Amino acid sequence: MKTNPPQLPLRFFRWFCHPKLLKYIEGDLLELYEERVQEKGKQKADIKFIGDVLLLFRPGIIRPAEGYEQLNSYGMYKSYFKIGWRNLLKNKSLFAINTSGLALGIATCLLIMMFVADELSFDRFNKKADQIVRVVLKGKVNGEIIKEAVTAAPVAATLKNEFPEVLEATRLRRIGTPKITYQANTYRNSQVAFVDPNFFEVFTLPFIQGDAKTALLLPNSIVITKEEAEKYFGAEDPINKLLEFKDAKEQYKVTGVIEKVPANSHFHFDLFASMEGLAHSKEEKWLESNYFTYLVLAEGIDVNEFETKMPAIIKKYMGPQVAQLGMTFEKFKESGNEIGLFIQRLTDIHLFSDFAGTSELEPGGDMNSVYIFGAVAIFMLLIACINFMNLSTAGATKRSKEVGVKKVLGSQKNQLVHQFLIESFISTAVAMILGILIVTVSLSLFNQLSGKELEATFLLNPKVLAALLGLGIFISLLAGSYPAFFLSSIKPIAALKNKFSNGRSKGIRSTLVVFQFVISATLILAIIIVSQQMSFIQDKNIGYNRDQRIVLRESYLLGNNETAFKNQLLTDPRIESVTRSAFVPAGPTDNNMTGVWVGENKEDFRRTIIYGIDPSYIPTMGMQINTGRNFLEGSESENDKVIVNEAFIKAFSLEGNPLGQSINQRTDNNGGFSSLTIVGVIKDFHFRSLHEPIAPLMMLNNPYGGLIIKTKTAEMADLIESIQAKWQAFDVEEPFTYGLLDELYNETYLAEQNMGSILKIFGFLTILVACLGLFGLVTFTAEQRVKEIGVRKVLGADVFQIVSILSKDLLLLVAISFIIAFPLGFYLMDKWLQGFAYKIDIQWWVYIVAGLSTLLIALFTVSFKTVKAALANPVESLRSE
Amino acid sequence: MKKYQLGEFEEVVMLTVGVLYKDAYGVSIKKEIESRLTRKVSVGALQSALKRLEDKGYLKSFEGEATEERAGRPKKYFQITALGKRAMEYSKSTRDELWSAIPKVAWGTKIVVG
Repeated sequence: MKTNPPQLPLRFFRWFCHPKLLKYIEGDLLELYEERVQEKGKQKADIKFIGDVLLLFRPGIIRPAEGYEQLNSYGMYKSYFKIGWRNLLKNKSLFAINTSGLALGIATCLLIMMFVADELSFDRFNKKADQIVRVVLKGKVNGEIIKEAVTAAPVAATLKNEFPEVLEATRLRRIGTPKITYQANTYRNSQVAFVDPNFFEVFTLPFIQGDAKTALLLPNSIVITKEEAEKYFGAEDPINKLLEFKDAKEQYKVTGVIEKVPANSHFHFDLFASMEGLAHSKEEKWLESNYFTYLVLAEGIDVNEFETKMPAIIKKYMGPQVAQLGMTFEKFKESGNEIGLFIQRLTDIHLFSDFAGTSELEPGGDMNSVYIFGAVAIFMLLIACINFMNLSTAGATKRSKEVGVKKVLGSQKNQLVHQFLIESFISTAVAMILGILIVTVSLSLFNQLSGKELEATFLLNPKVLAALLGLGIFISLLAGSYPAFFLSSIKPIAALKNKFSNGRSKGIRSTLVVFQFVISATLILAIIIVSQQMSFIQDKNIGYNRDQRIVLRESYLLGNNETAFKNQLLTDPRIESVTRSAFVPAGPTDNNMTGVWVGENKEDFRRTIIYGIDPSYIPTMGMQINTGRNFLEGSESENDKVIVNEAFIKAFSLEGNPLGQSINQRTDNNGGFSSLTIVGVIKDFHFRSLHEPIAPLMMLNNPYGGLIIKTKTAEMADLIESIQAKWQAFDVEEPFTYGLLDELYNETYLAEQNMGSILKIFGFLTILVACLGLFGLVTFTAEQRVKEIGVRKVLGADVFQIVSILSKDLLLLVAISFIIAFPLGFYLMDKWLQGFAYKIDIQWWVYIVAGLSTLLIALFTVSFKTVKAALANPVESLRSE
Repeated sequence: MKKYQLGEFEEVVMLTVGVLYKDAYGVSIKKEIESRLTRKVSVGALQSALKRLEDKGYLKSFEGEATEERAGRPKKYFQITALGKRAMEYSKSTRDELWSAIPKVAWGTKIVVG
């Protein structure tokens, strides 16, 4: 009888031994054991056996760490990657459509996200950004709405003294466009401001040279940016150099150099002069508003609550000064007047400030456009994901056999889920990389359109990278989840028999297609309406002629020589007329307003815009006088005459007989006034953007300021050159600058034009992505129905019939999407148009055009595949079973 | 660098495989070494040496018959490969060279007694 070796060591040996060696060594061990039992007895043989086994426990004999019986299933994941990649390569066109669609979606989304992030980052670079607020002025005086971002000089100091929660108060006052000189370097700069000495303790603008705390303590000290320092002083050390303000005849000593103000700030001044020497800034004048006032509030102070303390301040300080005008503050309020200080968060200034066009430092952003773009980004990503899901599901149904076989061989559901998720992960990763590439390539174009300075390095920020990674995982889960869970739950028998029903997924796919085309059709609608409004603006009769007009806003700089310059211009045969006026209906212009009443009707007191013109203004601008006459040339008596516009007539109800009526305006606070007589009524012209209705306007014979030239030549460049030569002949230091009226006009609508082009690009991308999805879908349908098509062809169906059978369902979906898209588009675009005082009506044919073009695009996309399927030889499709 | 890696015990194993010719498998090699060199050889030491030699390509193996005393486990027979032969020859010739390079006088003067 055979003796058995001790089981425990044997089992241990079997466990650790390398599988390739196991049977041989075990054989040896058993042979030796048998021999030893014979020779020395069982006990000794057992001990020897144990010893042998223990001595075998050494590298070379022990099986390697990774072997066939692993603790995890990483090997399976390796195989998923391999199979996933092979599968993607097998369906190259589907893979290409799928990833490029997703890449476009990701790229668009990233670009917009960068834009939105930039918009939201405004002024956040300030360390105390959350504590800084700006005090603004709002109210209603004599029926005129007052909305100013500036307040009176004493507001800052008063608030700091009155309220302990105000830690710091600082002011800023802009200085027009001073001429600043250092030795031979003279420049005009529009970005110059007076600021309080503590300005740099409130705003975080890092100093390169000098000290933030002390730089502006002394009058006539100035802090400049590095760029300005290089401009004026070159390589010299700027500190203690003297800059001369030519117009004010003052010298400022440079006491600090700072970095350029960041792009995402609500101001971009280059020179900050100390306000210490500005006498006006120390006066207790509550009725003049010139100062941007910023406060640093203690942490945790509720801005709204703080705001409720303002009326008391107004009453206490402004009240007495109002009373000096002859009306007590109570009476002032009783007669329907209001005036109040309001608190605005620093971080709200860029996106929420509504002082644009009045006194805001710089045109801000618009929260609405942030919302719109954000929505576009999310929709774009959603569409791309939907496509991805759609196509993956469609492509995956072809793999039902694979799933069936895998299931029969013992694959568990979660293994299959993993497999499909990994495939979606691979595609997402490829799309993500592609998307980032697209972003870096197209960033400069996007910057041009959006007027931003976005940089691709933004994407390298660890937070952004983490977000990107998160986004990638989210997309792969979202896009991969449906095919993963759907396919893995197919019953193997059904899958193998190919009896697998497609009903449920078809419903979902249809919904997704409808959703995409809702967005596409809405965008097409929006594009048409925006373009219509833009061409409406272009073609609208704005009441004056903007072609071939040259504007020389700076001609007042010639001083006494201006008339001589004007007379020289008039000798040029290419110039038809020249008018002297600082008032230009488009682009930068002088603004002047005053409160007036007509005749004895003192109660009807209205703020009215005043244009100072000369007799040649109206003919030069191509404006039209409805009744009455223009000013007469060279007549002193014309100075108390006035020409008003139709809106003025309407506002004061002078329709009957406007001519000869007297317009009165106050000259002092004691009831004194001067009168002007209406001699003419001019046809309304748009002197502000079409967002605003035409306001009452009066024109006085009071020419000053710039020149507007009406030309009659096609060679504009030559003419401008010769004008420049004449300018320079006067030997002025001032550089020659000019503008063309039509360009100035167009610049007014730059935001709308940019929005139009951005909308067009995104619209195009959305439609492209939606079409990619549709194309993928019809590819899938055509392949599924290949036999059916074959049979139909054999039975005599022609190409057109087959094409229509294949396209019918999809086009129906597109048609359904219109039902949702049109009301949606109408609602959104109507809201957009509300922003214009002068706007187009949305016409019925717009819907037809939008619908037809969407349908045609869809049909065109689908036709690539359907025609090919219809032309295929039925033998090919029918011969295999 | 050495051309052929062959340790002392490995060389013994190789030589024994050569000696046993067609009958070289685990137990027989172990017994042969033990009887000829009168030294104890553990199964572990032998098997890991065999595996190393096989990995180096000096030995090749084939599966042999299964016998009753091995409980049906097959034997694994080893044979010297051409490379193995070269390694052995190299090892032998280097030793011969060294042997012949020892001056005769070295044997005569016994300075140090081991």
